[in-house]
Amino acid sequence: MKRRVTLALALSTLLLGMISLTLGPAGISLADTLLVLTGKSTTLSQQYIIFQLRLPRVLTAILCGAILAGAGAVFQAVLRNPMADPFVLGVSAGASFGVALAITVGYAAFLGLPFSALLGALATTLLIFLVGSRHKVSQTTLLLTGVAANYILSAGMTLLMFLNHEQYDRILFWTLGSFSSSTWKQVLIMLISVLLFAVPIRLAHAEMDMLLLDEGSALASELPLQKIRLILLLLATFAVATCVAFFGIIGFIGLMAPHMARLLLGPKHSKMLLPTCLFGSFLLLGSDTLARLLLPTGEMPVGIITSILGAPLFIWMLRKGRYAYV
Amino acid sequence: MYSLEARALSGGYEKHEVFSNLTLAVPKGKFIALTGPNGSGKSTLLKFFYRELIPTSGSVYIEGSAVASLTQKNLARKLGFVPQNGRIDYDFSVLEAVSMGRYAYKGHDEEGFVEQAMRDCDILHLSHKRVTELSGGEMQRVLLARSLCQQGNVLLLDEPVNHLDVKHQRTMMNLLKRLVEKDMSVICVLHDLLLVQVYSDETILLKKGEVFANGPTEQVICHENLHAVYNIDAHKIHDPTLGRDLWMPTWC
Repeated sequence: MKRRVTLALALSTLLLGMISLTLGPAGISLADTLLVLTGKSTTLSQQYIIFQLRLPRVLTAILCGAILAGAGAVFQAVLRNPMADPFVLGVSAGASFGVALAITVGYAAFLGLPFSALLGALATTLLIFLVGSRHKVSQTTLLLTGVAANYILSAGMTLLMFLNHEQYDRILFWTLGSFSSSTWKQVLIMLISVLLFAVPIRLAHAEMDMLLLDEGSALASELPLQKIRLILLLLATFAVATCVAFFGIIGFIGLMAPHMARLLLGPKHSKMLLPTCLFGSFLLLGSDTLARLLLPTGEMPVGIITSILGAPLFIWMLRKGRYAYV
Repeated sequence: MYSLEARALSGGYEKHEVFSNLTLAVPKGKFIALTGPNGSGKSTLLKFFYRELIPTSGSVYIEGSAVASLTQKNLARKLGFVPQNGRIDYDFSVLEAVSMGRYAYKGHDEEGFVEQAMRDCDILHLSHKRVTELSGGEMQRVLLARSLCQQGNVLLLDEPVNHLDVKHQRTMMNLLKRLVEKDMSVICVLHDLLLVQVYSDETILLKKGEVFANGPTEQVICHENLHAVYNIDAHKIHDPTLGRDLWMPTWC
């Protein structure tokens, strides 16, 4: 079952990627796209459009989707809460706030936007972790701490935009998410992030299963609970911060993809982690493709599409799901 | 050697020290009931043994080894724990949930401990059922089977029959009794004094973080102790199936 789902998702993402490469103001047919990709096309403009504009965009959406989805699975396991994801918990907002603050205060040139995003995301994660480390704190309290952090950081973002009209558009970009300025350098960075994130979490699949148990059982079963939690949270935070630094806040992927994978394959992480990442890739690539097509001129921020599509789909899935918490 | 020991144990929660200089020794290979009023420290005491709580002073031991000095792996191989109202919110299959008990062995199960534990707990027929679809009694047996897979000699249970109907209570308690016959040490937090008297070999009666009485159950559960600890009266009834007298709380 896992192999079939994984293969189907990989092929669907590949097919969607091919379709996405053909779509855009400059109409390039599928046949021409294939010629460009195989190096047989001599049309320079088509080569430029495919290789410099569309392919980096498709690849960054695929890689970013995989990270956000994988991070969602990590947050849900670590906080033992199916509602947890980097967006709901404010980690994405933390990264975004870090970027906005860097732009407003003017240290962006000194620190760089990715590092500023990382600082913001890390501060949020550490806040959640410190609250969670206190004895007798329920998982609900933990989640609500993240939700509260999300509100505060979102308010902070709005304040920064309000106070700094000159940078309004630049900051707004990070609150809505977009792949419109994807580059090959970003593809490379995202690829490294995926590898640095995906390999350790794949190796920790048994630990992530154990995290879904009650705390006492997990402790009595050898799991070094706090250490595992901290490592996984930091890994997910680094990966999410990289996504936000380049492409802004994109919601719902981290929430939806793990649920979709669990619905088909059950909650065991050895089975569901790879399909989760592929679901994330497919969903985000699909959303970005729609974002490029829906408006007659210009394009819609991808974060709006993921939220509009994600919310109803998520409610439907929960109704279909077999979870004890529904 | 004792199954569990607490030597001059002090500790508890951040703003509330539950135990102060508690010393206790629990014999091996017996069914031990840990009972007492709400807030007396029953569940808290167990937490020191599976390291959810760390003593502020003193130490606790499992089969002669200081818990503080045990690696996480060795602790898991010595001790199993079944939580109070344990539940798993994600829809693992019963087999997957029980197999998690092999985590301390890196998932290895060449000798079929998972199947044996499921057979012992009478849940083999539920292997492929989702844990979210189980009844309370079935779920408790799944959690017990998972703990048994750890192959520890000591089993801690925190009110394992809470919320179970009489039939499932009996199934669970008989199951625990059979484990004791196989030389396991079972330490079980229980509120029901009838179950305490029917099933346990020895009883530890706690009151406000102190051991009020400790020893053979027929000596610990008596009118004087119940009155002193719970402030209730009790009377004896004869159970013809057991062929002995049991203390019952006087309800009015």
